[in-house]
Amino acid sequence: MPASRDSAIPSVGRAGAALHRPHRRALAPARIPCWRVYLDRLVVLIVVIGLWQLSSLYFGTIWFSSPWHVLTRMITELRSGELVFNAVYTLKAAFYGALVGGVPGALLPFVLRRRPVTSAILDPYLAGGYGVPKLALAPLFILWFGVDLEPKIALVASIVFFLVFFSTMSGVNAVNAQYVNVMRVCGAKERDIARHVVWPGAIPYAFAGFRIAAPYAIGAAVVGELISSNRGLGFTINSGATDFDTTLVFVALVTLTILVVAINLLVARAERWLLRWRPPQQGGSMRVMGT
Amino acid sequence: MTTAATPILEVRGLAKRFPPRAGEAQSPQVLADLSFRVADQEFLTMVGPSGAGKSTLLNIIAQVDGASAGEIFFRGELIETTDTAALNPGWNCQIGYVTQDDNLLPWRTLIDNVTLPLKLQGRYNEETAERVQALLRATNLTGFERYYPHELSGGMRKRASLIRTLAYDPPIILMDEPFGAVDAQTRGQLQQDLLRLWDHGRKTIIFVTHDIGEAIALGDRVLVLSRSPAKVIAQHRIDIARPRNLGNLFKLDGFGDMFEAVRQQLQ
Amino acid sequence: MSIAIARPLPRLRRKRQLIPAGRIALGIAVLALWQLGTNIMGQEWLPGPADVLVRIWNITVSGQLLHDTAITFWEAAVGMALGGAAGALLPFLLRLSPRLMAALDPFISAAFGMPKLALAPLFILWFGIGIPAKIVFVASIVFFLMFYNGLAGIMSIDPKLVAMLRVAGASEWFISREIVWNTAKPFLFAGLKIALPRALSGAVVGEFIAADSGLGWYIQNARSFNDTTGVVAGAVVVTVLVIGVNAALKRVQTRSLAWRPVARDMMV
Repeated sequence: MPASRDSAIPSVGRAGAALHRPHRRALAPARIPCWRVYLDRLVVLIVVIGLWQLSSLYFGTIWFSSPWHVLTRMITELRSGELVFNAVYTLKAAFYGALVGGVPGALLPFVLRRRPVTSAILDPYLAGGYGVPKLALAPLFILWFGVDLEPKIALVASIVFFLVFFSTMSGVNAVNAQYVNVMRVCGAKERDIARHVVWPGAIPYAFAGFRIAAPYAIGAAVVGELISSNRGLGFTINSGATDFDTTLVFVALVTLTILVVAINLLVARAERWLLRWRPPQQGGSMRVMGT
Repeated sequence: MTTAATPILEVRGLAKRFPPRAGEAQSPQVLADLSFRVADQEFLTMVGPSGAGKSTLLNIIAQVDGASAGEIFFRGELIETTDTAALNPGWNCQIGYVTQDDNLLPWRTLIDNVTLPLKLQGRYNEETAERVQALLRATNLTGFERYYPHELSGGMRKRASLIRTLAYDPPIILMDEPFGAVDAQTRGQLQQDLLRLWDHGRKTIIFVTHDIGEAIALGDRVLVLSRSPAKVIAQHRIDIARPRNLGNLFKLDGFGDMFEAVRQQLQ
Repeated sequence: MSIAIARPLPRLRRKRQLIPAGRIALGIAVLALWQLGTNIMGQEWLPGPADVLVRIWNITVSGQLLHDTAITFWEAAVGMALGGAAGALLPFLLRLSPRLMAALDPFISAAFGMPKLALAPLFILWFGIGIPAKIVFVASIVFFLMFYNGLAGIMSIDPKLVAMLRVAGASEWFISREIVWNTAKPFLFAGLKIALPRALSGAVVGEFIAADSGLGWYIQNARSFNDTTGVVAGAVVVTVLVIGVNAALKRVQTRSLAWRPVARDMMV
């Protein structure tokens, strides 16, 4: 695979990874005492919320809602079950889509590994497919699959497939030739090589693909719901916007953000457990992809 | 070469030239007309300058790479010609290979790495498991079975990669500067470990190094290789009695002269 | 000094010649499958390749295509310029205050988690269904992309290099120009490369939700009339535009980062 494409895939995900690890070390150097960092953060939080509250006082809650409104509305929406229902619907679309697109995306590289000619034939089509703006195809999916869960699953799958495929493919290509040779000398057959060397070596890359794809999956599900749906957090946002119910829009946005952050943490945790054989300085970081 | 009547391994007229890279008319010759024999249960060391093509030679014997010309015989049977498509890495597990890097699979624990060849060959049973345990004890690795490679020290990884090959007991073992990248202290310990293991169950070892002292201290015979393209330019029989104690080896009579002789030949 | 890489397969060279033929054959097969799908499922579900081409030709001749493309491009370009400039500049300013950066860290992480596309209805609520809402929407997407890439670039500055230059008596301004800028540049380029196609598809998504012109509007409008041919034709046009922008960008980038031996590791 050309280097440029490998690097284009992780895109935001890699920036995000950089934000999580080296970031913290680089940003909070020992010179700044820990308590002061937390105090600073508290001050920033208060300033942000204060500014929001002030602007809602000045412009009126109809445009900006207000922190207080959002909080109380969040609680009522949670109590009524409405918010949970819509969040589950969005998560369902994202999860099934990630499964439908991600599993073939993770398996195809292993099929292509020993078939250089087939890979070369498919390459421009896969590269083109990666470049297609899938979100722009959303109305087509809705036209084909209706307004329920199916079009969102198709949309999410079409995005996740390429992210996971190219990530896994770079893992399969990066397999250590020395391991392969040493195992051959020890009597390993082609099947053993695939199972004991290529597969475990490529798993971190497949996982990285899924980690990068997770926020995209949720984003795509929401876009699908924004365009046409009567359920899901995207629908919540849309109905809030059309009713000039800004508070509801913010409630949905906050919920979405919390969901994505929670999923990111969950996936990172799972990854660390699954890849506990890796030296800690590499664990969970996208850096491996570049090396 | 007069070591034995029936050599276990014979290399005849081996030559190697890698395919030329883009823009290169012809790539340099790495090996040229290289011939030698190894007797059964012999500890043969080969010493040569860095970049002489020592690793290439072992790669060809292990059949992970093909030769450009020449033949290799195992117990009198032709096992390799220049047909790269017919390569059989390890010649049906008859030739073991301990590489310069330990090449332990990072996702398998120490014990899973060491037993993997036996499992692949379908030979993992009570008897071989006991053998693995004995090897772990002999190399002081007992207690670290469940550790991943990154949790072990460099010396422990070296020992693990050594017993990974010893565990399945191939008649010939190739070693490519296996103790190259460790500190001097650990290195002395590893050399002593290797000699002890070898004294237990003698096998044929071809040990490649650029360290003259190591070559003399370990081997029955030292082959001196020339600069690239590598050829055998001299051989020395080492008559130091076994078991050897590497600690006082350097004080023995003749060691210094031998060292100096090899050093002269390498220049 | 290590085991050689696997040997080349001798048969491969002969098989290599199959590749171009195979690619063409696969392309024809895809088109044939498309046509077959049309024949089986019917025009309303999947319009044939020929119908789509005719439609694209028709809207080109009528000037509609040019008009909608121009609108979408304008939204993407202005949004890109505004969001890109702000997003690229901010990390350099933040670098000046490690304390502020440390304080903002969790908020930056949280903002990173928010799906930006979900903001579209909010912007339409604030700025109406016209072009300004899409510009702001595109700008917000591009801003975050450039900001995170610039930040990653700043993070990857080698403190040893900075210390070395300080010891050599370099001024802060020289250090910024020499190390900070040169380290961050490839990251910003990588951000640009990702942001440009996203800006275009962002504009289209914005138009899906509420608009009265633009390619996204054309597609969404066609869908509301069950005009499948229109939807597919619009999708094809957007795809061709995005892939074209990608290809053009690749060309520019290889030229301007020629000094870099391997760009992979730097790309964020």
